[in-house]
Amino acid sequence: MTTGPGPGPVDGEAAAEEETYRLYVDGFPRTVSGAWVGDSLLTVLRDVLGVTTVKDGCEQGRCGACSVLLDGRLAAACTVLAADADGARVLTVAGLGTVGLARAVRAMFLAEGAVQCGFCTPGFVVAVTDLLTRRPDAGEDELREALAGNLCRCTGYGRILAAIRAVQRDRALADPDDGVVGSGGGLARPGEGVVGSDGPAGAGP
Amino acid sequence: MTGGRVASMYRPRTVGEAVEMLAGARASGAEVALLSGGTDLVPALRSGERSADAVVGLRRVHELRVRGAGADSLTVGAGVTYTDLVGWSLSPGLARTARVVGSVQVRNTGTVGGALGSARPAGDLLTFLTAADAEVLTVSPRGPARLPLADFLAVGPDPAAIVTAVRLARPGGPQTYLKTGGRQAAFPAFVSCAIVMDRMSQRMTCAIGGVGGLPVRMGEAERAAIAEVDWASGTASAAAIRRFADLVAEAAARIDPALPVGPRESAEYRWHAAGVLAGRGFARCLASPEPTAWSGP
Repeated sequence: MTTGPGPGPVDGEAAAEEETYRLYVDGFPRTVSGAWVGDSLLTVLRDVLGVTTVKDGCEQGRCGACSVLLDGRLAAACTVLAADADGARVLTVAGLGTVGLARAVRAMFLAEGAVQCGFCTPGFVVAVTDLLTRRPDAGEDELREALAGNLCRCTGYGRILAAIRAVQRDRALADPDDGVVGSGGGLARPGEGVVGSDGPAGAGP
Repeated sequence: MTGGRVASMYRPRTVGEAVEMLAGARASGAEVALLSGGTDLVPALRSGERSADAVVGLRRVHELRVRGAGADSLTVGAGVTYTDLVGWSLSPGLARTARVVGSVQVRNTGTVGGALGSARPAGDLLTFLTAADAEVLTVSPRGPARLPLADFLAVGPDPAAIVTAVRLARPGGPQTYLKTGGRQAAFPAFVSCAIVMDRMSQRMTCAIGGVGGLPVRMGEAERAAIAEVDWASGTASAAAIRRFADLVAEAAARIDPALPVGPRESAEYRWHAAGVLAGRGFARCLASPEPTAWSGP
């Protein structure tokens, strides 16, 4: 259960049309004022706060380009009312950090050619990082199902799945049926040890 | 930005506050939208498909996020998300239904109360809850109320009331939910089917979504199936399963008014799919215990 009530400065009262509220975006408190009360989190992030690491695709919750972590849960920012998210923690791809799993996911997206036009990439990296945090050794079917909310029109998903498997190998958490032993050996535990190199860690050219 | 109106935002923390704020805003003549997860409402506000003068956001109302089990019934708060239900062993049917809703993003955000408040006829949850004979619990300035789901859906949500929970019987046998349509993550089901079996009371119910304005119970097919199940062993013949599927397809074709037909949405296909899903669901229930279907009384 994560509702993240936060400080809730205007708790229990209706405010004026252009009310002020606060979001914690990628670790920084950001005050929103002057936005339309009916604006989505996506609109406020991009057009009011200038956070362009979330992409504006379909605005219907179908494409996943605006995927963020809202109080730790993967959500499409276009389906969240920004004013209702007052006090919430919002993580975009830029706030995932530069170490550990988040770094490994980005490195493997590059190494495996999972990026073509790049429009879907920020949403994918957020979704993949969220998935591998919860389910580090997810198998092929689970990966495909868990990423069904993110559309890519370039890669055909093959390179994206290859990148995920490379992350799993690299973190020595691959499905044993995969037949590949990760570079870190088979005994490391989640969250331990060093994330692999930026290179393709045993993957072919 | 785009859109218009929505001039005020209310953020209640209790059901009482929510009802009060809703009443206050309505008293001033405002058109008020209740906001739960937002997966339906927020895109609709953006596109202009819906408008409102005020929004009452329910995400801070922790009372609505409770789910619980009594001796005979399960109660699921309106703020419970699909993700919350996915692993719920007490209700295999709800868990199964929640697991095939939309995408991870939608399941994390969308709620039970939102499904009822939006009452989209193709909503996965509505089909299952129709088969489960669920009740809807609401609170309005006149106090709490509960009414059968069918009545709630027929009349539509009371604009002065807040849906607080749904209540359904504890499972007494296998339950399943099946659907067909475009990509699940992006599009609602074309046709859906829920089956709830109760081995102790020797009952079986079946609801079909996508063949009428709302999910429809298949009374005649249910009665025929109940008569053909060998309840001692929980089995039925292959012929009985085929008859059940045929009866469902025939009943679907008799629903009046039928849904509008589009170039890719022939009525015949809907009826056929209803029969196929019903037969498959019935067979699946009979073949249980499957780990996902039933884990004892």
